[in-house]
Amino acid sequence: MAPKSDLLQGTLDLLILKTLAERPMHGWGISLKIQAVSQEVLQVNQGSLYPALHRLEQQGLIASEWGNSENNRQAKFYELTKRGRKQLTEETANWERLAQAVARVLSS
Amino acid sequence: MVDRVTTRLASVFRRRRVERDLDRELTFHIEMLTEQHIRQGMSRDDAHRLALAEFGAIQRVKEDVRETWLSRLFETLAQDVRYGLRNLRRSPGFALVVILTTALGIGANTAIFSVVNGVLLRPLPYANGERVVVLRQQQPLANVEDTGFSVHEIEDNRAQARSLDAVAEFHNMWFILLGRAEPERVSTGVVSAEFFDLFGIQPLLGGTFQNDDEKPGATAVLILSNKYWQRSFGGDPSVVGKVFQMNDRPHQVIGVLPAVPQYPLEVDVYMPTSACPFRSRTAFIDNRSSRMMQAVGRMKPGILIDKARADLDLVAAGLQAAYPDVYRPTDGYRMTAIPLGEEVTRAFKPTLLVLLGTAGFVLLIVCASVANLTLARMVRREREIAIRSALGADRARILRQLLTESTLLALIGGALGIAIAAWGVDLLIAYAERFTVRTTEIHIDRAVLLYTFGLSLLTGIIFGSVPALGGPLRAAPALRDGGRATQNRQGVRSALIVVQVAASFMLLIGAGLTLRTVINLQRVDPGFNTDNLLTMRIDLNFSKYKGEQIAAFWERLEDKLRALPGVNGVAASGTFPLNDSGPFSGPLQIEGQELPPNAPRPQVNFYVASPDYFATIGQPLLAGRTFTRSDRGSDRPVVIINKTMARHYWPDQDPLGKRISGGGQTWFTIVGVVADTLQRLDQPAHDEVYRPILQGGQLSTTWLLRTTIEPDVMERQVRTALNAVDPDQPVDHFRTMAEVRSAWMESPTLTAVLLGLFALLALVITATGIAGVIAFSVNQRTQEFGIRMALGAQRGSVLSLVLRQGITLVLVGLAIGLAGALVVTRVLTTLLFGVEPTDALTFLAVSMVLVAVAAAACLIPARRAASVDPMVALRVS
Repeated sequence: MAPKSDLLQGTLDLLILKTLAERPMHGWGISLKIQAVSQEVLQVNQGSLYPALHRLEQQGLIASEWGNSENNRQAKFYELTKRGRKQLTEETANWERLAQAVARVLSS
Repeated sequence: MVDRVTTRLASVFRRRRVERDLDRELTFHIEMLTEQHIRQGMSRDDAHRLALAEFGAIQRVKEDVRETWLSRLFETLAQDVRYGLRNLRRSPGFALVVILTTALGIGANTAIFSVVNGVLLRPLPYANGERVVVLRQQQPLANVEDTGFSVHEIEDNRAQARSLDAVAEFHNMWFILLGRAEPERVSTGVVSAEFFDLFGIQPLLGGTFQNDDEKPGATAVLILSNKYWQRSFGGDPSVVGKVFQMNDRPHQVIGVLPAVPQYPLEVDVYMPTSACPFRSRTAFIDNRSSRMMQAVGRMKPGILIDKARADLDLVAAGLQAAYPDVYRPTDGYRMTAIPLGEEVTRAFKPTLLVLLGTAGFVLLIVCASVANLTLARMVRREREIAIRSALGADRARILRQLLTESTLLALIGGALGIAIAAWGVDLLIAYAERFTVRTTEIHIDRAVLLYTFGLSLLTGIIFGSVPALGGPLRAAPALRDGGRATQNRQGVRSALIVVQVAASFMLLIGAGLTLRTVINLQRVDPGFNTDNLLTMRIDLNFSKYKGEQIAAFWERLEDKLRALPGVNGVAASGTFPLNDSGPFSGPLQIEGQELPPNAPRPQVNFYVASPDYFATIGQPLLAGRTFTRSDRGSDRPVVIINKTMARHYWPDQDPLGKRISGGGQTWFTIVGVVADTLQRLDQPAHDEVYRPILQGGQLSTTWLLRTTIEPDVMERQVRTALNAVDPDQPVDHFRTMAEVRSAWMESPTLTAVLLGLFALLALVITATGIAGVIAFSVNQRTQEFGIRMALGAQRGSVLSLVLRQGITLVLVGLAIGLAGALVVTRVLTTLLFGVEPTDALTFLAVSMVLVAVAAAACLIPARRAASVDPMVALRVS
């Protein structure tokens, strides 16, 4: 896989954190949710989802647990941790600040 | 707490489960994707294929996930290391002390282990090493542990031992190398042709012996040992093929050996059996009882030692049946086989294991001591840790960081320890050479480095995790007040001190016992006057001197030496007391004391001596006379015996005039009785029979000169004198008797020094530990002391309070150490002389030393406690 730029990697992490902010979900659910909410604009590369999930887990921002999915299959559910929630708030604030700054530059 | 950490650590190792989980997780995703496509109307196969394509290569994804695990691991490790280093830099004193103590502890273990590795653990450096066995014939009922082999017996083994595919022989003699600046005595191993092939030793240069070399009259050839080649020829490869005059024949060098341990002993050169005139004599070859050689065998591939031994039992039984008058049942003849590895390490194993155990104890003390230090340091960082954990820091992470710090210190200490060990290993090699030939493989190699690394890691984990048991990572109590946690910690610290005291006690006992052994050996009276005696070895050229010429040579030499200025006595003998090569021992018959026909014959030591021998070395003549120069030839067979033998066989009679015999052909009359001398300092006197040196055609002699002239000067004079008698006759191995005696003492002294050093180190560390713990407890109890003194307690009572606390600790440790020592010191028995492993005096002395040292260690903090100002103490709350 081509080396991901930090920006893209950070973005994916943010999306995952945001998705999990509502409720715990498994990887498939997360990918569906991101697709759905972004109105099909963001096609999450299915493969890159999992390295990101594991990395976030290593960092302690999310935690995992095996459970039963909707159709009674064994799936690995992820949920946001306290630290993850804090991180999400910070990152969202950063992102919004960045977006505003870019908008100002473009509209000047 | 601890198990959380272990689960984290374990998860790193539970790779297989984690891998399985990952696989399940990804499979789930792909299945859901497949089903989505099915719902969109695809067939199952198409849907599955599309899902796989969309997902991307599963292996790739898995690798990426694995990468995140790994990079995270390294990241956190690097973080921990950086954090740890920063912390250690803030307390350099602590770091330094820990590193030094650990370095000493690990260094000692590394050094000892490198010896253990080189001598005991590594496989023998011969290609067939694992299959080689030492063959031994014994007559246990006649008290003979090793009779040696005769020519017939070796041939029988070769033919009949089905479990062996090769049998080779070895015996030791000398040749005289001529044609160089000085005639040189060359120690020679005479071996059968297949000797080196049996071991699987390939020559470094040239070739090895062929069967034809053993035929009588074959060209004289020799192979150089590596050491001799380096020493005498400077490692010159062109020596192969050169011809040298040795004794009376030219000998050609056909090969040089590689640097391997030489079994059974180190010799300069090797020659085939045809080279030894004694062995080649028909009378010797034909006589089944003429035993001189040692034998080795090589087991067939796949044969185990038990099978080989059973096989040899069969061979022995067969020989006994075939030759009943040679293998008398009263001697209890048997043959046994010992694996070579066992045989070469047998002498060293007990000492080595003792050293290993001692080093282990030292490391234990080091761990306990450093754990105590770490615990003390924990206290200061308690607030920091409590705050961090209250703010949400992962407690497992904190513990991991602490462990990283301690492991870092231990690894640095270990690296330093390797340097210490490198310095000590050379000393240890010289020490080991007295016990075994397997010293060529003692170095700090990969196995040793791995061992050191593992030991450092273990040490770091141990002393890093012990403080965790005290529970300083409990957030709430630490913030509130240190009461309960402190008590817990005090208990742990006291326990650690008790461990240190117990281990130090055992080390001190070991040191004390070996010290007493050395003192006992020093005090042993060998039975003669060891002052001002110069010894040397002269082995006569056996090709040049035969029969009466030998006696004539000795006489001429004796006259010449006696005439030298400053010489007060000249003695010649086969060997002398305390010499490294001992006497012959053989069976004895006593006239008038015939034994029943099937009883085993007694064994005595046989010596040869010149007429002036006893007077020169100071061995008193108790009865009868000494030899004269007319006691020669075969017409006046006389002997002198020592007191032990006289008392043994003629307790109520005068032995003078009685007759004895070795084999029964010649009967010797006893003409004198001399006082006892000791061949070995650690063994009592044996039965000894002396024969006149001029009688037996003795070729290998030692000479002793009583002189106050300096040994170097005397040596030159002796060489000149000998040169005048025969310029082609070498003399060597000049040593004063004082040197001979100290050589004897070297091994036990070195052992005692090693154990003493370890014990001293242990004592210092333990004493420091005690002082630290007591100082700490005094600190904690400042308030209490202040109150006591305000209420009227004398300074003295506070002092005794603190002292009592310290002494109690030590006494508990002492008790445990005592129990341990009583059990453990049994392994020292082989190293001791004149003292029991449970010697009461030593135990008492060590206990007193330990209590005294502990009291001294407590004194300083105790004095401080007693000098506390009550007002100051009460104000601090």
